[in-house]
Amino acid sequence: MDKNLEEKLKSYGLSVEEYEKAKGIVGGELTQIHWALFSSLWSEHCSYKSSKIHLKNLYNDSKKLVSEDGENAGVVDLGEGERVAFKMESHNHPSFIEPFQGAATGVGGILRDIFTMGARPIALANYLCFGEKGSDRLEQLIEGVVSGISFYGNCVGVATVTGQTEFDKSYNTNNLVNAFALGYYGKDDEITSSKVKTPGLDVVYVGAKTGKDGVHGASMASESFDEDSESKRPTIQIGDPFYEKCLIESCLEVLSKGLVESMQDMGAAGLTSSSFEMSFGGGRGLDIDLSKVPLRDSSMGPEEILLSESQERMLLVCKPENLEEIVSTFSKWGLDAVKIGTVREEKEIKLKWNNELICEIDPAKIVDGAPRYDRPYKKIEAVDVDSAQTSDYDLSTALSSTQGSSRKWIYKQYDQRVGARTQADCDSPLGIIRLPESGRELGMVLGCRPAVMRINARLGGFDSFLSPALQLQIKGFTPWAVTDCLNFGNPQKEHIMGEFVSSLEAMSEACRVYEAPIISGNVSFYNETENQNITSTPATGVVGLKESKDFKTPASVFQKTGSKILMFSCQQVIWSGYGAEVVGDKTWVNGELNPEMVKDFGDSISELVKEGKVLSSRLVSKFGISYALSKMVTSDIGFESELDGEGSEFWNEEEMYQVLLEVEEKDVNDFMKNPYFNTVLGVTESDGSLHYDNNSYTYDQINKVALEAWGDNFEGLE
Amino acid sequence: MAKTIGVVRFLGTNCDEDIYKAVEQVGAKAKWLWYQDSFNEAEVDGVVVPGGFSYGDYLRCGALAAKSTVMDSVEEFAKKGKPVLGICNGFQVLCERKLLPGVLLKNDSGKFIDQWSGLTPVSKDSFWSIKADVKFPIAHGEGKFFIDSENLKSISDNDQIWLKYSDNPNGSVSDIAGVLNKEKNVAGLMPHPERAMHDWMGGSDGVSLLERFL
Amino acid sequence: MTKYGIKVLPKKEVLDSQGRAVQSVLEKAGFSLDDCHIGKYFEVKTDKGEVEIKKMAEYVLFNPLIEEITIESL
Repeated sequence: MDKNLEEKLKSYGLSVEEYEKAKGIVGGELTQIHWALFSSLWSEHCSYKSSKIHLKNLYNDSKKLVSEDGENAGVVDLGEGERVAFKMESHNHPSFIEPFQGAATGVGGILRDIFTMGARPIALANYLCFGEKGSDRLEQLIEGVVSGISFYGNCVGVATVTGQTEFDKSYNTNNLVNAFALGYYGKDDEITSSKVKTPGLDVVYVGAKTGKDGVHGASMASESFDEDSESKRPTIQIGDPFYEKCLIESCLEVLSKGLVESMQDMGAAGLTSSSFEMSFGGGRGLDIDLSKVPLRDSSMGPEEILLSESQERMLLVCKPENLEEIVSTFSKWGLDAVKIGTVREEKEIKLKWNNELICEIDPAKIVDGAPRYDRPYKKIEAVDVDSAQTSDYDLSTALSSTQGSSRKWIYKQYDQRVGARTQADCDSPLGIIRLPESGRELGMVLGCRPAVMRINARLGGFDSFLSPALQLQIKGFTPWAVTDCLNFGNPQKEHIMGEFVSSLEAMSEACRVYEAPIISGNVSFYNETENQNITSTPATGVVGLKESKDFKTPASVFQKTGSKILMFSCQQVIWSGYGAEVVGDKTWVNGELNPEMVKDFGDSISELVKEGKVLSSRLVSKFGISYALSKMVTSDIGFESELDGEGSEFWNEEEMYQVLLEVEEKDVNDFMKNPYFNTVLGVTESDGSLHYDNNSYTYDQINKVALEAWGDNFEGLE
Repeated sequence: MAKTIGVVRFLGTNCDEDIYKAVEQVGAKAKWLWYQDSFNEAEVDGVVVPGGFSYGDYLRCGALAAKSTVMDSVEEFAKKGKPVLGICNGFQVLCERKLLPGVLLKNDSGKFIDQWSGLTPVSKDSFWSIKADVKFPIAHGEGKFFIDSENLKSISDNDQIWLKYSDNPNGSVSDIAGVLNKEKNVAGLMPHPERAMHDWMGGSDGVSLLERFL
Repeated sequence: MTKYGIKVLPKKEVLDSQGRAVQSVLEKAGFSLDDCHIGKYFEVKTDKGEVEIKKMAEYVLFNPLIEEITIESL
């Protein structure tokens, strides 16, 4: 092959076959504009070419889902006229290169996906994975990512209500930053579409001016890192949460006034992807003059303008008679709105540069004509390793490990209450906000435990939905709908693709059992650095609704002295993951998950909770019962075991799934009638300490160990 | 008749809706005051400058907002002895505008802090005085109150120290969480009373503070 | 001992969000200006020369991905 062509294909991220296919579509050699279009729209990031055939099987056939296919996020109906839009998205590669701006722009991008649909963003969450303690740049990455999220989320004024942070060596050279956002529609708010349907309307560019930021960013996010990455760096995108806040207010204002037909944010691949998706979605072409796009850098040509990923920009379509009011509304908020084109009767997009036609193409041919790959994969079967030994370690080992230590030093930096809707913040296993109009409670939990995924991808796929679903059920919430953010390595490797397919199948099966549709999502492949792939990490965001106000939501810490702590168990899987990893033992699993049985267990606990007699509840998760109890102890209320002779195996064993309920002594007999009742663990006491099996820890000891886990390594991170 | 409380909105203010709701919850009528507009002192009975990130906290917290038209009116309103309350970023704006003494610096930890904080009232006998200890959330990166020792003595002698932290979270001089102007009609505090309006939020001590307006 | 001034400004091609906000406030107040940038300034005394200053700057004072520096001896 021609050396020049080879170079060009590499820098635009296209294969020879894709290049030939593109030539077929345009009917000849590609122009520079064509290269720009195909390179971004056919990147893995924009086209989902390796995942699409699997994503279409995900469970979303539900009446709750009220948004159309192909929109920026999914919307679910909550009844009483209220709806929420939510989605989770990855910003892994940018956050590894420049952690602060990478994480900040990740938050900005996911928020735009939400308010571009007309929903007011009211909650944020984040799922983070970093390398093991002592790994290269670890402090810089955590510090940068956390302060980037804190900077953007706090300033834009959307509360961060929950999150999850994991550590493992597989993320040493490829951290994960997944941002979740949720937006709200009241009775009078309409869902805004991105699809352009009416000819003759104006195409209006709003928000920040276009600079060279992130040119070729979309194709970069679809490549594995190698030593060349350094030189391929585009100009870093800078996020401006102040600008975004003004953009939120002005966009929601023009939408509520009914001035806009459709709207789309400029995210990955910027103007290219937003204009092509709007046009393709509605079947109408656009006539766009690129020379009208407001520029920050006047030296930019049409190709760079098409590819720029400058932040805080939107494209909207309106009736010509509404343009003036739109311009004045944006101006009130200090922002520009400029007409850059019109909607055509025909389906082709015409791109112009100073009135000269530089490209005319049917967007369907590129968007719908994008390559689809059925990558070969090896399915992951369930494993069953018999009767392995539960690892022997004491609670302080768990609490002081990176996996078991407190995340308070992270979430303390997030504004968890702006908006004045937060009922349960990041201290709690689930975030709870009050819905503005009905006052009902909405719960949010992120899922996926990489330690389970490392043992078995199918089990991990089940667990990434079932675990958060149970977190919701034990508080009396109904798991309502799900978003996923699928972080995987190189899809061209059979075992990675196998983990992708198998975990996704399992997750979808579990969601189907619960009738909780997967309403939105994101795939991030090529999380691979020099052949080292990350732990396959299908993160989820599960949203649950508390339909009734008749009972008080159980707390997550002990409420009263003298109450009994009961354990309920569905006895499906025993495993050793977090515990084994901490002491360096081999991890193992015994048993298989059956989502129907887990749901029956969850429903049964939920019924108990709805009777209003549960004071506090907790799902036993990593490190077993002793760790869960340590999280329930308060400075005033402790726990004394009433069991005798149960050794450390009992207190440390990780099981799917066990639940702890705090109930008053007079109610214990009623609770014991539940088929999943296992045992009375003990009683709450007034000394604020934890006592079990010859172990004693005061509240202060527990918290000191958990908070100081990072020791000197994180001086300054507190 | 219900009192009307003006709620100032700058570009980037993000606790405006929260305080608007809170003011109405205690029985007042809330009214927006846009940053580019002036207002007449007869239009409102009190003013809140809310929290958030006016102008993204760029340059210095509150500095750019302090220059807006609405603040000319707020200043006139304050000079007439009418009640003005600045919360968090609003406190910073009032300090930048020299309507309150002192300045707010980066927290000692160098980081943003979100947590509940206990507060003890100091000033006993003025419009803004509250009787008992309260608990409000704080959420700020630059909330360390600073004032030189000479002026500290002066505000202390003049009973202008309004609230102190029971467990100083940010390195504020003398644990100061809120101060008053010399005339005691302008008050500013870093904690957020509007986030403590219901038990389900974790506390409802904000009600008694906002009721001072009535 | 020589005193050096180290000026750190956002790179020309990178968005300067702070400069943008300040510029718009100044313009609304009636000032006329074409551009506005916000950076940091360090003064460092050393007898190790400009090479050492450059090393310090690269070590932690600025982020070469988004900022550029000018060093002057005072």
